[in-house]
Amino acid sequence: MPREIITIQAGQCGNSIGSQFWQQLCLEHGISQDGNLEDFATEGGDRKDVFFYQSDDTRYIPRAILLDLEPRVIHGIQTGPYKNIYNPENFHVPKDGGGAGNIWAMGFSAGENVYEEVMEMLDREADGSDSLEAFMLLHSIAGGTGSGLGSFLLEKLNDRFPKKLIQTYSVFPDMTSGSEVIVQPYNSLLALRRLTQNADSVVVLDNGALTRIAADRLHVQEPSLTQTNQLVSTVMCASTTTLRYPGYMHNDLVGIIASLIPTPRCHFLMTSYTPFTSDSISQGKAVRKTTVLDVMRRLLQPKNRMVSAMPTKQSCYISILNIIQGEADPTDVHKSLLRIRERKLATFIPWGPASIQVALTKKSPYIPMSHRVSGLMLANHTSVATLFERILKQYNVLRKRGAFLEQYKKVPPFTDSLDEFDESKAVVQDLIAEYKAAEQKDYLQTDASSEPHAQ
Amino acid sequence: MATDKIEEGLSKLIEHILPELEDEDEDEALKDNALELARGMIDSHVSQAHADDPAHIGNIIRNRLIRENRTSDKALRFANLYSRLLALPIIKRKGSILHLLHELSESSDPERESFSRASNGVQSTASTSRAPSRGTDSRRPSKTATGDTDEEFDATAPPKPFLAPDRTNGKGNEPTKATLLANANPPSDPSEVTLLKDLPYTLQGVSSKILTFTNENVLKLPPNMPVPLVSLLHTLAEPALLYRSLSAYVEESDSVEGKGGLVGQSLSAAISNELKAYLSLVAGLEGEIRRAISTLTEDDEHGLSVRKAGVTLRRCVIWTREATMGLRLMAAIVGESKGKRGGQLISIIHGFSTSHGDPFVFNFAKRLLGSVTRPFYDLLRRWVYDGELTDPYLEFFVIEQSEEAIAEASAERRGHASSVWQDKYKLDDEMVPTIMTPEFANKVFLIGKSLNFIRYGCEDSEWVEKYSKTTSKELSHDDYTSLEQQIDEAYKTTMERLMHLMNKKFNLFEHLCALKKFLLLGQGDFIALLMESLSANLDRPANTLYRHNLTAQLEHAIRGSNAQYESQEVLRRLDARMLELSHGEIGWDVFTLEYKIDAPVDVVVTPYGSREYLKVFNFLWRIKRVEFALGSAWKKYMTGARGVLSSVADKVGSDWKVARCCIAEMIHFVAQLQYYILFQVIEPSWEKLIASMNKPNATLDDLIDAHKLYLTSITRKGLLGGTAKSRQPEMSFLVQLHEILKNMLAYKDAMDGLYSCSVAEFTRRQAQSALIEARTAAGKWGVSESDSPYEFAQQVKKHSRPKDDTSDSDDSDSDDEESDEQLPAIRQRLKTLTAEFQARTSVLLGDLANQPDMDMRFLGVMFSFNDFYVVKKGRGKTIVERRSAQTKGDETPG
Repeated sequence: MPREIITIQAGQCGNSIGSQFWQQLCLEHGISQDGNLEDFATEGGDRKDVFFYQSDDTRYIPRAILLDLEPRVIHGIQTGPYKNIYNPENFHVPKDGGGAGNIWAMGFSAGENVYEEVMEMLDREADGSDSLEAFMLLHSIAGGTGSGLGSFLLEKLNDRFPKKLIQTYSVFPDMTSGSEVIVQPYNSLLALRRLTQNADSVVVLDNGALTRIAADRLHVQEPSLTQTNQLVSTVMCASTTTLRYPGYMHNDLVGIIASLIPTPRCHFLMTSYTPFTSDSISQGKAVRKTTVLDVMRRLLQPKNRMVSAMPTKQSCYISILNIIQGEADPTDVHKSLLRIRERKLATFIPWGPASIQVALTKKSPYIPMSHRVSGLMLANHTSVATLFERILKQYNVLRKRGAFLEQYKKVPPFTDSLDEFDESKAVVQDLIAEYKAAEQKDYLQTDASSEPHAQ
Repeated sequence: MATDKIEEGLSKLIEHILPELEDEDEDEALKDNALELARGMIDSHVSQAHADDPAHIGNIIRNRLIRENRTSDKALRFANLYSRLLALPIIKRKGSILHLLHELSESSDPERESFSRASNGVQSTASTSRAPSRGTDSRRPSKTATGDTDEEFDATAPPKPFLAPDRTNGKGNEPTKATLLANANPPSDPSEVTLLKDLPYTLQGVSSKILTFTNENVLKLPPNMPVPLVSLLHTLAEPALLYRSLSAYVEESDSVEGKGGLVGQSLSAAISNELKAYLSLVAGLEGEIRRAISTLTEDDEHGLSVRKAGVTLRRCVIWTREATMGLRLMAAIVGESKGKRGGQLISIIHGFSTSHGDPFVFNFAKRLLGSVTRPFYDLLRRWVYDGELTDPYLEFFVIEQSEEAIAEASAERRGHASSVWQDKYKLDDEMVPTIMTPEFANKVFLIGKSLNFIRYGCEDSEWVEKYSKTTSKELSHDDYTSLEQQIDEAYKTTMERLMHLMNKKFNLFEHLCALKKFLLLGQGDFIALLMESLSANLDRPANTLYRHNLTAQLEHAIRGSNAQYESQEVLRRLDARMLELSHGEIGWDVFTLEYKIDAPVDVVVTPYGSREYLKVFNFLWRIKRVEFALGSAWKKYMTGARGVLSSVADKVGSDWKVARCCIAEMIHFVAQLQYYILFQVIEPSWEKLIASMNKPNATLDDLIDAHKLYLTSITRKGLLGGTAKSRQPEMSFLVQLHEILKNMLAYKDAMDGLYSCSVAEFTRRQAQSALIEARTAAGKWGVSESDSPYEFAQQVKKHSRPKDDTSDSDDSDSDDEESDEQLPAIRQRLKTLTAEFQARTSVLLGDLANQPDMDMRFLGVMFSFNDFYVVKKGRGKTIVERRSAQTKGDETPG
């Protein structure tokens, strides 16, 4: 029973991140480029079967489904160094692959065409696992395929696998600077509705923050796409270490996110990771010294967050889980926690007990690490709502002008009306309100009374 | 010269020498007498004829030395010293000095017993009276033969009382002595000659005509004896009586097989050797007496010729002095050794050889010790090199415990199970001879115990035999430092071997790891799988569980998790079973994992330790179960929120919200508790255990102690053993936690009820809308006014029947009406459970805040990391409040 997780990569961004992720996993587990176990990979203690299964010839194959509406990135994967590890049946690119043209509606409606084929893949993968725990969707919400097709899949997964967890790693567009995709507020808002309603946990990664961190940490003005993708894959790997190296706690996805997400709607998680060195990122800086306290303190710094949220005075943590890898001494953790508490480096919700949980995990023995300790923070922070607010604001600007709506009106669900937009907007507004309410002391009481009671 | 000073000095001297007698008058008289005597002696010494002639005195001394030592070494040395003395210009009165030294060498022994001392005066006068008949000192060489009897005694040993023979010149004082002489020499009955004749018999402890031993230790003197003779006979009676008692002791220990053990036997052998030497002395004495008596003529009534030959009672006293000392010492040893054996016996003799200032006693005891310890060292050798205890008389300081004693010892430790290592042998501190330090003895104890354990516990007798063959060495008392070295070496080798066996052959470390992985739930994926596959089984009553089911699930969990990579040796020991059932329990209460430990590893992981492991497992398993239940509940509600629950939010949304937050609080609680147990308790203790295992020169005992410490710190700190200073003293932390965990499970069940209600509501609505849809399709009103609410509901129900099969909700078959009625009950139940949970956590947090243990206080801090719970201390009470409760009343417990 490995509590398997099936990964779905949708769109250019999703597939780029995904290929980087699998590459990293292979390195950590000592799996060679053709899927065979390396000779040195004998130390064990790891669980490869959460993310991989073994073929008849004992090669390790990722439980991954790769979808795109245009062939460029997937073609890159199929010709890349790790081309042989994937199950060739799990690729889907339409023959006439013209893409979704960065229109959410195109991606969403294209879903109907690929539905049968994708569901067949999903069923096959689900049947191939003993006790499937979750699906993991990798995508961006700004474009067409990842956003639109991704949204479609989220809805369908909900119907098809109502009891399985759905986690997404969603790359949000850079809302601060000028966007490459002009309609990205539309796409984001529409996707955000599905993320709110049809996913259990969303790890929010924000392109703006990624670029900033890459620039800051790696000292390059224009970080390459590979570099930012490496940031993401590092975060993904770190957040799954407790699943892959079983220990006393946090051995399954539920164990990780149950304590992070108290109420269903507030399930958008922020991440921080430190340190980014050349071990995980090409051209990363060397780090002189890392201690547990250093790492835990840096994780709390806003500049290390991979989301460019704008915390207000009321913003607070609903929960935090720190995954610390390396030679961390429990007593150091203990001291660091007390220090953080003393200095009030983190503000928590006032309506319930909350704390920094710590998971100490092994690190892969096959990858040398130049630093002693590294850490990932998964946090449920109310300031993530500011990100949604910005999306909403930009959406309002566009929508008021009624700009670029023609493309959407061509395909369902917009052929009849634009209600979908309004419904999505309402959902996102509710979401923002929920986060706002969670900052209040009387979250449990006021909200409970404001909702109608049907006795 | 100031006579006052002399007078004062004399009285002080007498005061010092003479013991205080109880009778004051007698005391006074005796002292006066002695003083008088001393004065006379000093007076008689006023002038000395030979005082100025060093050559003469030198001759005397040299002759004496030659006579007393058959070799001429001492005489030569004396001659050497003598010539050097002559060459010294500073010393003027060389003759006097030599004379003084000579006299001193023969002056009386301080050890003499009181009665002989008291009679000193008489003796001295008697000897002076003998002086004339002895003639000049130049005749002394003729007495060489008498000196031979002294061969048993060291030449340097305390000198014999021999008063200066040079009194012939002290004519001025003769009158007083003459009167004394006259008093002393009335023809006595029996005469001294007769006494001399009988003396050898007496000295051998045999009764003679005149001197009879009336019983064991009484020598009867004939009546009407002159006082000086009586005192002499008293002196002579001492060795005789001592000899009797000692020989009786020797005989006794010879006749009784094994009495006093080997050491006792060797002691009696040593004593009988000494007695033989004494007898040969007596034989020499007898020869001398015979020779002297043969010269006796009929008319010599006073035995003057005997005196001429130099054999008198007094002489006999002198000759037997050293022997008497030896006898006295042995008698003392024998007296003290009564009832003692082995090591204690050695301790007694050793006591004489170290804590006695008298070099004679010291040497004598040392000689005795050498022979007495031989059997002891043989035992030691067997023990140290073979690990075998062959001690039929229980003389060694290591005791092999009988079966019953082992059982008793284990019973004494209140259920701590016994182990071969702990209880088979015992170190008896009382039996450790003082020749070795306690540390040394302990080392010896450990070596033998380890060897024995290697041989029998670890079944590696081959190694022990080889080891004993190659290294076994004769041990003896002569060279203590090399003995220490040998023991140290043996200690090192043995301990290394034992640790090697433990780690390599018996995989101790592997077992400890396995215990941590399985019983302390370190192998999380295995535990999760086991729990998941067993949960359905364990929810049922305990008596419906079957062991084969459990083992099958265990197999499944092993195969499905990383536990499959463990060695067969480890997996073989892992077992799932049920604890003894009691009525009405469910599977969760009785299930346990077990890790079987067998010999010899059970020395470290004792049966008691195994039980402790089980206890810890039980506790951790319970927490895990709650975590598992909460986690799966969370998952159900979470995924439910995407579908079913979202559509009925208007009705039960607020219930869900409150309930979810309560569940979140519980999840937080369990997560913190687990974090604490793992990283504050188990991991640090484990680190410590590893550190002490890897320490160089770690012994098995260190290991056992380290492991014991490891377990206790887990049981104590893991809240299992901590005592809470709660308002109710019977509420230990463990009980409190169990209650809280139970509470959580109850809450989860109540929430499942809420879930069923919501699902029922959901299906009802679906059916309703389907009915409306159907009616609309048929061209009727969806809901008409003619529909009474009841009929409508009935229709909806009818309509919903076929729908149930395809519906996602597998949970609810319950009647909608019922579930609607249930809702308030469920709400109430949730509310009470919440209140109960909050009250319990408050008590627990209050207790934790008052804990002396840092780590346990830290747990309290972690529970309330964001200061959600406010701990208020005051007036001896600790009150814990919840921050949210401050704003609204009905959330507060109680």
